[in-house]
Amino acid sequence: MIRVENLSKAFGKRREVKAVDGVSFAAADGEITGLLGPNGAGKTTLLRMLATLVVPDGGTAHVGDDDVVKHRTAVRRRIGVLSDARGLYPRLTARENVRYYGQLHGLSGPTLDARIDELVTALGLAPLADRRTQGFSQGERMKVAIARALVHDPDTILLDEPTNGLDIMSTRALRDLLRGLRAQGKCLLFSSHVMQEVTALCDRIVILGHGRVLARGTSDELIAQSGEHTLEEAFVRLLGSAEGLAA
Amino acid sequence: MFRDRRSMVVILVTAIAAGPLLLMLVMNLVASQMEKRRELTLPATGLEHAPALVAFLERQQVTLVPAPADYEQQVRTGDLDIAMEVDADFAKDVAEGRPGKVSLVYDRSRDRARAVIGEVESLLRAYSSEWARGRLLLRGISPDVVTPLRIESRDLATPQSSGSVVLGLIAYYGLFATLMGAMAAALDATAGERERGSLEPLLTTPVSPLELATGKWLALALLNALVVVLTLGGFYLTLRYGPLPAVGVPFLFGLAQYASFLVVLLPMILLAPAILLYVGMRGRSVKEAQANVSVLLFAASVLPLMQMFMQRKEPEWLSLVPIAGQYSLLARVLRGDPLSADAVLVTGAGPLLLTLLALLLTARLLSKESVIAGK
Repeated sequence: MIRVENLSKAFGKRREVKAVDGVSFAAADGEITGLLGPNGAGKTTLLRMLATLVVPDGGTAHVGDDDVVKHRTAVRRRIGVLSDARGLYPRLTARENVRYYGQLHGLSGPTLDARIDELVTALGLAPLADRRTQGFSQGERMKVAIARALVHDPDTILLDEPTNGLDIMSTRALRDLLRGLRAQGKCLLFSSHVMQEVTALCDRIVILGHGRVLARGTSDELIAQSGEHTLEEAFVRLLGSAEGLAA
Repeated sequence: MFRDRRSMVVILVTAIAAGPLLLMLVMNLVASQMEKRRELTLPATGLEHAPALVAFLERQQVTLVPAPADYEQQVRTGDLDIAMEVDADFAKDVAEGRPGKVSLVYDRSRDRARAVIGEVESLLRAYSSEWARGRLLLRGISPDVVTPLRIESRDLATPQSSGSVVLGLIAYYGLFATLMGAMAAALDATAGERERGSLEPLLTTPVSPLELATGKWLALALLNALVVVLTLGGFYLTLRYGPLPAVGVPFLFGLAQYASFLVVLLPMILLAPAILLYVGMRGRSVKEAQANVSVLLFAASVLPLMQMFMQRKEPEWLSLVPIAGQYSLLARVLRGDPLSADAVLVTGAGPLLLTLLALLLTARLLSKESVIAGK
């Protein structure tokens, strides 16, 4: 469960760039919530605030019952993050990359090994698991990064543009994985600028533009709200222009 | 980090090989200089004007050869170390009671030539005074009349302290190893993490910034210690078993000195990675961090050089300064002075405090959002 209330963050010397400007929404457990917005809408900053990497200027955000500012460590234990930066250690094998993060989360021994095996199977990483990640394709790296984010079995999962750079097969595999996590009752928050991704996967959608929430609801609700026939048209109407839609 | 085999091998092999190579080079240089001194060959012009001087020099085992026509040019280019010109009017001047003129042509800025220059100058001075004594005796005056002062030198240099001139290099190199040992790894663990985008995911784990900084520091300090142990080990083995030319320098870099060196260098082994972590973490890319680190490294490597050339006794406060303190302590070990616990603690305190400070600053840096935002 994620609750965000009136969250704000500005950058720049005089705080003139309002990256996130009074955003409120909630993401429930057992649901996939999509943050949809053009480039520069504030999706990454929002996710970074939820991941405790960036401190908000105003408003509050909770992951479960933990405040992202006051209970940083507790929040970090709860969340699994696939961040905008998804660098791996090139000299370590895929398995070692994942194991390292497991150890940082305090896991060890057979529990950790079993968890890694589980993820390797679920993500179809088996043929790659014991190769160094140097030279992995973007999709392969993404899978390792996802395994790394999920190694401690977090109850809340934040994914920043997870399908970026993935081919169709990998995208489908990722969707299946995320649906599986939803079935386990996890809370998933997923950002994208690609509408098809969001419609294909998300139960609820939050449309962001210029750091503000433009609309939120299920896909049907959004279409109804805008009076258009498709989500794409609804999205364009809500944004006021077609800017940023070219993915 | 330790999986990066190729880099590790390069770091460690350099550490082991550098010492012996450096020593060989220096010792061979010293040896060739000493040989030069023993077999002094002096190119000269106008020798026919001063047959007595020629006889004197030959008695002193100097080989006199006619100077080539372009000897001045050759001295300038370094092909000749020195040349002597006997003035054409030498015999005439001497016969008429004026001092005979002998010119030496050399370039004192050339280190290699210095020993030869000194040797020739002192030989000429000896000839001059021998001649003067002869004249005085002829006139029935005791030579003592013109030498009211008798200078006697008692050199208090122990065998260790004369050897320490060459061994000063080991001190310098040992310090250098503490600075360089973990550098590549430190940059990879800081700016490298930022550059490859692995820092942001790392910071979303429950590991606290201080734990992260400490963990990285421990790994680097361990690597650094390994490099220093190997570097000094390389020196020790070379001096002990290496086929070095005998240059008359007694080598007293035994196991006791080895151990003392490690004790003295320990604070630096701990400090250098902490500083590198902080500086590295400020760099957005490895290149940027390298530029910052090289400034630091320059300052750090100049300090002992300044001490090396410092003529007067070092002020007390210098022992508190990291690197400078270690360097003078290492020099003392090489001179054969016993290492006092006090001195070790005094010189170690500064670096240890700075280590702590650097770690706290690194942790603070890691908890700031700018560390991920500035990419």
